[in-house]
Amino acid sequence: MQPRRQRLPAPWSGPRGPRPTALLLALLLLLAPVVAPAGSGGPDDPGQPQDAGVPRRLLQQAARAALHFFNFRSGSPSALRVLAEVQEGRAWMNPKEGCKVHVVFSTERYNPESLLQEREGRLGKCSARVFFKNQKPRPTINVTCTRLIEKKKRQQEDYLLYKQMKQLKNPLEIVSIPDNHGHIDPSLRPIWDLAFLGSSYVMWEMTTQVSHYYLAQLTSVRQWKTNDDTIDFDYTVLLHELSTQEIIPCRIHLVWYPGKPLKVKYHCQELQTPEEASGTEEGSAVVPTELSNF
Amino acid sequence: MQGTPGGGTRPGPSPVDRRTLLVFSFILAAALGQMNFTGDQVLRVPAKDEKQLSLLGDLEGLKPQKVDFWRGPARLSLPVDMRVPFSELKDIKAYLESHGLAYSIMIKDIQVLLDEEREAMAKSRRLERSTNSFSYSSYHTLEEIYSWIDNFVMEHSDIVSKIQIGNSFENQATPVLKFSTGGSRHPAIWIDTGIHSREWITHATGIWTANKIVSDYGKDRVLTDILNAMDIFIELVTNPDGFAFTHSMNRLWRKNKSIRPGIFCIGVDLNRNWKSGFGGNGSNSNPCSETYHGPSPQSEPEVAAIVNFITAHGNFKALISIHSYSQMLMYPYGRSLEPVSNQRELYDLAKDAVEALYKVHGIEYIFGSLSTTLYVASGITVDWAYDSGIKYAFSFELRDTGQYGFLLPATQIIPTAQETWMALRTIMEHTLNHPY
Repeated sequence: MQPRRQRLPAPWSGPRGPRPTALLLALLLLLAPVVAPAGSGGPDDPGQPQDAGVPRRLLQQAARAALHFFNFRSGSPSALRVLAEVQEGRAWMNPKEGCKVHVVFSTERYNPESLLQEREGRLGKCSARVFFKNQKPRPTINVTCTRLIEKKKRQQEDYLLYKQMKQLKNPLEIVSIPDNHGHIDPSLRPIWDLAFLGSSYVMWEMTTQVSHYYLAQLTSVRQWKTNDDTIDFDYTVLLHELSTQEIIPCRIHLVWYPGKPLKVKYHCQELQTPEEASGTEEGSAVVPTELSNF
Repeated sequence: MQGTPGGGTRPGPSPVDRRTLLVFSFILAAALGQMNFTGDQVLRVPAKDEKQLSLLGDLEGLKPQKVDFWRGPARLSLPVDMRVPFSELKDIKAYLESHGLAYSIMIKDIQVLLDEEREAMAKSRRLERSTNSFSYSSYHTLEEIYSWIDNFVMEHSDIVSKIQIGNSFENQATPVLKFSTGGSRHPAIWIDTGIHSREWITHATGIWTANKIVSDYGKDRVLTDILNAMDIFIELVTNPDGFAFTHSMNRLWRKNKSIRPGIFCIGVDLNRNWKSGFGGNGSNSNPCSETYHGPSPQSEPEVAAIVNFITAHGNFKALISIHSYSQMLMYPYGRSLEPVSNQRELYDLAKDAVEALYKVHGIEYIFGSLSTTLYVASGITVDWAYDSGIKYAFSFELRDTGQYGFLLPATQIIPTAQETWMALRTIMEHTLNHPY
């Protein structure tokens, strides 16, 4: 496999020279459609290095947003996917409306424990249309993906996970998943996968054309008894937003049953301003320790 | 190899019985004076009466001295212990026997005993203070890393030394490892890890890399050529206060721990505090923000220390700042989309470095200028370095791409360090071959 590289020519490839030092956002607000076929780079790169980061970054943003939405919509903690590679895409930018992106990308199964070995032959392909409404979150997404896992197998794995969750003893005495050294105990994987599923909803809703999120850590979990066999739990996650580097604590309440759509409610902490800040040491990375009712 | 056997500096251990104390003073003597006690014996002679006591006293007065009393003739109730050098043994034993002085052999061969004791001491020291027992595939605390640094410098003092370039806000030392084969002010390469404290994989990679350099010097032609002509400086814990905080309180802390009157949030993003486009886009004036740039350029002692050091040195040719995560290799600028004047060269070099990295474990990195690859960021290390005349300024974002993020499992430390090394080596080789 070739290393990923600058495959996308700059939208305004013209004479070399210093470009105006404009805001990144201002640059995005161009009327002309940006055609950016991903394969044009090839092993022999075109003559000059391409300042192609802008459309490439936007395509990645769109792909990630689409995946968060896809994962949430699938409602299946056993069928989670992550971005492998953006293959091609184009974007249309309109100062009044926002930014429309069409992107094609490959995915692989989300399995933090496996490294490289499983990658071969396990790539699914997705095509998505993502509409970022002028800096607003909750992009509109239309996404289809080729199947990565057989439906029956997925259902079996979901059910297995469901049973593992039901068998957990409450109150769960968990400090963090993963622990500070990155380790997830195998017995805790079901919790993590379900938390990732629920967080996908949150991350999709919060994504804009400049903000994108990762799930950094799960810091508390509480499972509730239910009358109707659903899995019901509250948890606190720390999301990492890349462009601001902020760690955002969110409290999430999730209700799940295999095969049924996921129900999620959440509340994320706002970034502290100097006026609002209390005298706590942890600053903007404070995690609220009590779970109150939403 | 310089360095002294360190046994003599230890305080005496318990049990403190006199013989042991004396033995240890012998070890000290042996260590410092390199004396040899092979074959020497310690004899115990109980004196039966005053006459015998007096006879033993005569031995003490002999010039040149033939015996060395460990417990001299004092009272009848106390036995006399004497060390007899091997060469005098025959004579002394004859003297004792001819005067009817019964003796017993306390120590048959002092040297053997000394060797055993020294071995035991060295063993217990080794467990705590050797870089061989340090685990390169685990994450460590600040104290463990500082301890490792001291051992490392001691064990490889022929090419490694430790330089203190300053202190952190909370007054922690900020040591820098210097790798040098001599010469005065060789052109130099700077590497820093841990400027953002939550990026634990970077410190771990830095430590492994330091060890790799000393291991490969003399074996890897490229590295040997590099070190013969250039010096390498590595600052492993560029943000020690933040790092300590990630262990004690908040694993995801990024900034340093500086406090200012009237400001309720703590810490400045050390990678926004440099004097290059300071305060511009991609940094934040809100002290509660993770990318708070601080009140002014270089306001943070951790940054000022590096600026002062590199500026005073005056001969740095490359600077590499290591972060995580995202799997990227980038060059300036971060503060704007403006390309640097040697953009083509840096692009090609980054491409080579990333290919060398990929060959190790198949991990894919993307590369390009910081502003186009990652995001616009102002007041960053590599921009300052470039503006200060360091043509080869690179920033790494190590593994992974978000599955674990900052919490990269320790099992990935060595693979990450191995592949990163190949990229570093590529950059350093290019720097060597393109003097300016």
